Amino acid sequence: MSTEAAPADFLSQAKFVEIQGLKLELVIKGHGPPLLFLHGMDGVEGCARIIDLLARDFTVYAPSHPGFGASELPRPFSSIDDLAYFYLDFLDHFDLNEVTMVGFSLGGWIAAEILVKDSSRVSKLVLGAPLGLRTQEKRAIQVADLFMIDPKQMDATLQVTPARNGTLGALPEPMLERIARNAEAVALFGWSPYLYNPKLHLRLHRIRVPAVLLWGEEDRLAPLGYAKTFATKLRHGRLETLAACGHRIYVDCPEAAAARIVNFEPAKPQLRSVP
Amino acid sequence: MKVWQFSEQAYHPAFDVPGSMRVTLSARHCDPAVAGTLLNRYLDEYVLADELGYGIMVNEHHAAATCMSTSCMTTLAILARQTRYARLLALGIPIANRSNPIRVAEEIAMVDVLSGGRLEVGMVKGAAYEVFMSNRQPARFNERFWEAHELIVEALRNTGDNFSWDSEHYQYRAVSLWPRPLQQPTPPIWMTASSPYSSIEHAKLDYTCATFLSGAVARSVFEGYRKAYLEAHGRVAPDKRLAYLGVVATAGDRKTAFQRAEQMKVYFTTAARLDAQFRNPPGFNPVKANVKMMQAGPNAIRPRLRSGAPLPSDPTIEQYIDAGLMFVGTPDDVYAQIKQFYADVGGFGNLLMMGQAGTLSHADTVDNLTTFAKHVLPRLQELSVDAPDVRYEAFA
Repeated sequence: MSTEAAPADFLSQAKFVEIQGLKLELVIKGHGPPLLFLHGMDGVEGCARIIDLLARDFTVYAPSHPGFGASELPRPFSSIDDLAYFYLDFLDHFDLNEVTMVGFSLGGWIAAEILVKDSSRVSKLVLGAPLGLRTQEKRAIQVADLFMIDPKQMDATLQVTPARNGTLGALPEPMLERIARNAEAVALFGWSPYLYNPKLHLRLHRIRVPAVLLWGEEDRLAPLGYAKTFATKLRHGRLETLAACGHRIYVDCPEAAAARIVNFEPAKPQLRSVP
Repeated sequence: MKVWQFSEQAYHPAFDVPGSMRVTLSARHCDPAVAGTLLNRYLDEYVLADELGYGIMVNEHHAAATCMSTSCMTTLAILARQTRYARLLALGIPIANRSNPIRVAEEIAMVDVLSGGRLEVGMVKGAAYEVFMSNRQPARFNERFWEAHELIVEALRNTGDNFSWDSEHYQYRAVSLWPRPLQQPTPPIWMTASSPYSSIEHAKLDYTCATFLSGAVARSVFEGYRKAYLEAHGRVAPDKRLAYLGVVATAGDRKTAFQRAEQMKVYFTTAARLDAQFRNPPGFNPVKANVKMMQAGPNAIRPRLRSGAPLPSDPTIEQYIDAGLMFVGTPDDVYAQIKQFYADVGGFGNLLMMGQAGTLSHADTVDNLTTFAKHVLPRLQELSVDAPDVRYEAFA
């Protein structure tokens, strides 16, 4: 757990909402236009700081993905598609329009999978070091395999910011349960193929909303070469890098990333051309 | 009591390579000619075990210098021809890691008919790290295990028309076993457990339940099994349904036995050499179990001494004996230790005996097996005839 804000404080703001029979843990905070925030592999609590920053300008909807945190995982859910379709139901449930969709890492992959299916409720897309495109080609590895990394090296692989040391077992039981559920959910959705959908590259052109790709220049999980592949497949996207920043953009430079999101103003005519 | 010879069939020359012995150990450290010599040697020892009156147990692991048997059924296919008397136990086949359960059923049936119906089949979850080799999904592993089990059993016992199958992970247009197994409805089925809860399902299914190198925990595993068995079947579980795996080092004199034990002890120290990230892949164990493991820290899974203290990280032979993981000494010593352990855990009908382990040489293994067969095995027959008079209180 590497968060600036204390996870327990942040999570005390969470409520449960039932959508299509699924009990979802959800933080809604702030004022302004709607922003759907899709967290990365370490759960919504890992993104507490940047969510707080975004809440100054947006009404942020920050759910725990099904299977993560305290959100239910329906037994039939087994692929990233299940999450994408669920979030389309989520947008319908709250009847959100002109949504700014923000996803980091695994959440960026989910965002892409949502928008290749239906982007009608979304006006802007910010992908922070998204996964989802092919992570390895035969023996050539593009994205490091987190499942093969020594747990002690995990934080150093994912972030530039030194991790706070602490004894895992000393955390309160509900936090340990979240850690275990988050890890299991990452395996369920990302074990094999490893954190990608072999069909996504054929579909990314369907994302017709303006998009910005944020990438840490020191991302040791998915380096810039991977970012460039993403950028070329995304028709209406541009790549912006962040200095002194690793894969966990929301840990290493939440202020800079939040500012890019707040100031992301795509050319209006393009925006209105969305069918 | 029935005693089964077991060896992990290690490539022990690699034990000197620094670092992990599993998953990450490069295959360049394997000299295939040496591997062939060693595998043939272990097979010779199994053939000897057959002549000496043991049952035969083989296992399998993957990407490991500690175990070169990568397929129970390949090994048993050889022994089906080269042995005459022994029951042949695969313990076991990691069915949730296999992509094709019907292939598993086919191999079971083939070895069963080849051996004249001497096969016994363990279906196991296997070591957690093996999902890194099979690359099967670690999440919901348990569910997939039972799904595969159901299909394999359906295939083995089917004497009607061929059938088609469609479940979450497995789909088949035509299930048809040629040959089908000789033992009907299936060869005897075994499973493994390391807690009283995990033995409940085995008891309900009337499968043999084995626990490996678990020391005092064996008592609670067997208790859980017996309780569930009585509830499910309305009769007391026979001892033959329970099995314990331990290391045995014996010789005519105590000094030689302890020297052998030192060489076999290497099994424990090399099997433990596995990098942290491979020990418990996410999802392999249920969330509640993972929470408990995080809370308990690394000492949680260590076997216990009789005093209740965890076994230290580099125990002495005496401590291994105390914990019930090794039985070491003269035949009298070994008999007394097994008898004591038998009483401590409430009885069991099968001793899965690591008669070869670690770096123990062929000559020492031959003498170990022969000495035990001559001087201990006959005396063990008197154990496990009926429900024993159990001294549970004596075992903390």
